[in-house]
Amino acid sequence: MSSTRKKLSIGLASILAVMLFLSACGNNASNNNASSSGNASGSASNSEEPVELSWYMVGTPQKDVDKVMEEVSKYTKDKIGVTVKMTMIDWGDYNQKMQVLTASGADMDIMFTASWAFDYVQNARKGAFAPIDDLLTQYGKGITDILDPAFIEGSKVDGKNYGVPANKELPAQEVWRFNKNLLDENKLSIDGVRTLESLEPLLKTVKANNPDVIPLQVDKNFMPYTPYDYLIEKFPLAVKLDDTSYKIVNIFDTPEMKQALATMHKYYAAGYVPTEAATLESSSDVQATGKWFADKATTQPFADNVWSTSYGYPIVSTPQSDALIYNLSVMGSMQTISANSKHKEKAMEFLNLLNTDPALRNMVDSGIEGTHYNVTPEGYIENLPESKNYDMPTFALGNVMLTYLNPGDPADKWEQFKAYNDAGKPAILLGFNFDPTSVSSEIAAVQNAKEAFWAPLMTGTVDPDKYLPQAIKKLNDAGLGKIQAEAQKQIDAWKAANGK
Amino acid sequence: MKTLGRFAKDFNRNKALLLMVLPATLWFIFFSYLPMLGTVISFKEYRVKGGFLSSIINSKWVGFDNFKFLFSTDDAFIITRNTLLYNIVFIFIGLVLAVAMAIVLSEIANKKLAKWYQTGMFLPYFLSWVIVGYFAYSFLSFDRGMVNKIALSLGFDPVQFYSEPKYWPFIIVIVFLWKSLGYNSVVYLAAIMGIDKSLYEAAMIDGANKWQQIRNITLPMLTPLMTILTLLAIGRIFYADFGLFYQVTRDSGTLYEVTNVIDTYVYRGLKTTGEIGMSTAAGLYQSFVGFVLVITSNYVVRKFNKDNALF
Repeated sequence: MSSTRKKLSIGLASILAVMLFLSACGNNASNNNASSSGNASGSASNSEEPVELSWYMVGTPQKDVDKVMEEVSKYTKDKIGVTVKMTMIDWGDYNQKMQVLTASGADMDIMFTASWAFDYVQNARKGAFAPIDDLLTQYGKGITDILDPAFIEGSKVDGKNYGVPANKELPAQEVWRFNKNLLDENKLSIDGVRTLESLEPLLKTVKANNPDVIPLQVDKNFMPYTPYDYLIEKFPLAVKLDDTSYKIVNIFDTPEMKQALATMHKYYAAGYVPTEAATLESSSDVQATGKWFADKATTQPFADNVWSTSYGYPIVSTPQSDALIYNLSVMGSMQTISANSKHKEKAMEFLNLLNTDPALRNMVDSGIEGTHYNVTPEGYIENLPESKNYDMPTFALGNVMLTYLNPGDPADKWEQFKAYNDAGKPAILLGFNFDPTSVSSEIAAVQNAKEAFWAPLMTGTVDPDKYLPQAIKKLNDAGLGKIQAEAQKQIDAWKAANGK
Repeated sequence: MKTLGRFAKDFNRNKALLLMVLPATLWFIFFSYLPMLGTVISFKEYRVKGGFLSSIINSKWVGFDNFKFLFSTDDAFIITRNTLLYNIVFIFIGLVLAVAMAIVLSEIANKKLAKWYQTGMFLPYFLSWVIVGYFAYSFLSFDRGMVNKIALSLGFDPVQFYSEPKYWPFIIVIVFLWKSLGYNSVVYLAAIMGIDKSLYEAAMIDGANKWQQIRNITLPMLTPLMTILTLLAIGRIFYADFGLFYQVTRDSGTLYEVTNVIDTYVYRGLKTTGEIGMSTAAGLYQSFVGFVLVITSNYVVRKFNKDNALF
């Protein structure tokens, strides 16, 4: 063999090796903890070595995550023999990245999920999460003790639990929010305001006196409140809240929705609603300027304080619906254990500790005491300048009722949360989760038909007299009837099984 | 044995060239050919069970069920029509304008100025559709858009662009051309620069004017490149630019009739259920039609001029 040839083959081999290595990196870059946790499992048998759990979390990646997790690991290593590595994925990317990570079978242990991010029910059905019923009874005693039973019951998918819901506000209640400065300026009172129609005199006054203010701030996500429980979020099938026969209806066929749409169109025509509401992504610009009078929001205890602080001007609110526990409210924030996890028991032990141990919970939430924050003797948190490097979404990290109070919170904040939760009544479909597998082509077609007019109708941009019949026809052509029949079948079976 | 011997000989003789091709070959194997195995997912109901491969193997076969949602309603006609027509217009007008621009740029005497224009035209190519969407919005917004402000000052009624489908075929074509023209004309400009200058000198001596030079030298010399780029574009005729049809139109429901294309249809349809099998099916369908179209149009090109064909 000539020496050039030898060199060539060595060169070829090394290029091949580099390429293989690079392509393998493509797979592993996202979960380079796979190998380390794999190693950990190998040595876990001698019970000395702690197990490393990889935890996927929604939220803007924070600079100090690794630093804080190091502290967390020191704490959990002593307590339950695990260390924690957290990977944060930004809000907008979470859904897609997690779907890819799951579909490719990446090695993950704990994952954040919710009804609005990396859809809990869908992915539970697709096999992404491990069922945790046995784990909960064995290692999760603390969780079942602190959680309202509605959380555990409501987050069942096909009779099994796959996720640990965060202990937080349980019922969802829609309110009208008002910019208090404008209320005072126009000497208006919000007493007696509840329905969409009852807003009219207020909107009229504001429109007349403050021409540069938007009387009713509405964006493309707006939906007028109607007393129905939706089968799928923003999908036109629903059951009326007091309908004990559990009949699924097309929301556009209901008198309540028809009336609401007519009123919205009247408001739109009168100029109470932004002209381009149907394509407006969010209301945050308007909220920043304060040039709005009223809007619709979902509340929780002390929400007025939170809103007022974050906008920088006073907000007051008044309910437009009862406080009810929906599937959505139960599944607002959950931690699940990956079906591919090699340390399911340890992961559950960690979740149990996270939801019951204030020291751990606050460390995960606010960082290292003395570096990121200080605590007053009364249990109030004081953020230090470093806290900007560790600003986490509190609601997404488990039991919020263990966290320190924010300045301005009443001392009995969490008692009031508990009282609010106890007062909440279950909505009609709580615990029922539609399985769309057999009608997924119809759902895809109906989605497209629906999206074409949903926002224009809901925001009042178009005249429902003209567009509603067209909309209903298009939905039916796309196969809404078939989905409705399938859903009714599933609901009837669920009703019979649960003795409703 | 003999062929093998010849292969080894060929290999040995061309080893330097083959080595140069190697990185690209590996790239194609890893990122184009290996992933092709994934197309089986379009015939399966994909469910996670262990790793990626075992998930594929364990998922249930469903035949052509995953393709159904593409063809089940009258939207099937609208999305196919929109995707095809827009792409045909893009290819045709894009070609004419890019070549025209390239010729104009090459004829500008002041080379410094020509570079300026070229860079200016190239710049939009690097912007993301989200940003282009906001540019368009600053022109077309009802309350604050520049177009409506000008219309008002001239005494016209303002237009709600985002709920008037009739303007959008033009807006979309204009925005697309604005964004892509610079890039395409640079490609042709490079080709023009490569044309042998002696051809033009000979033509000038023969008394040909500028127009005659362009028609008889520049355009014929560009034809092979135009054919190849057009053939490649035809291969992607069933793919619509998602950002253009989703971001620039602000996902406005009232415009779907003229803005819903295959890619946006798939996105809207599957964002609730997230069925991987169905999105793979849509991708396979688009590639398959593109493949057939490329083969056919290449065949047609071959009939006329063998040298201009791709293969």
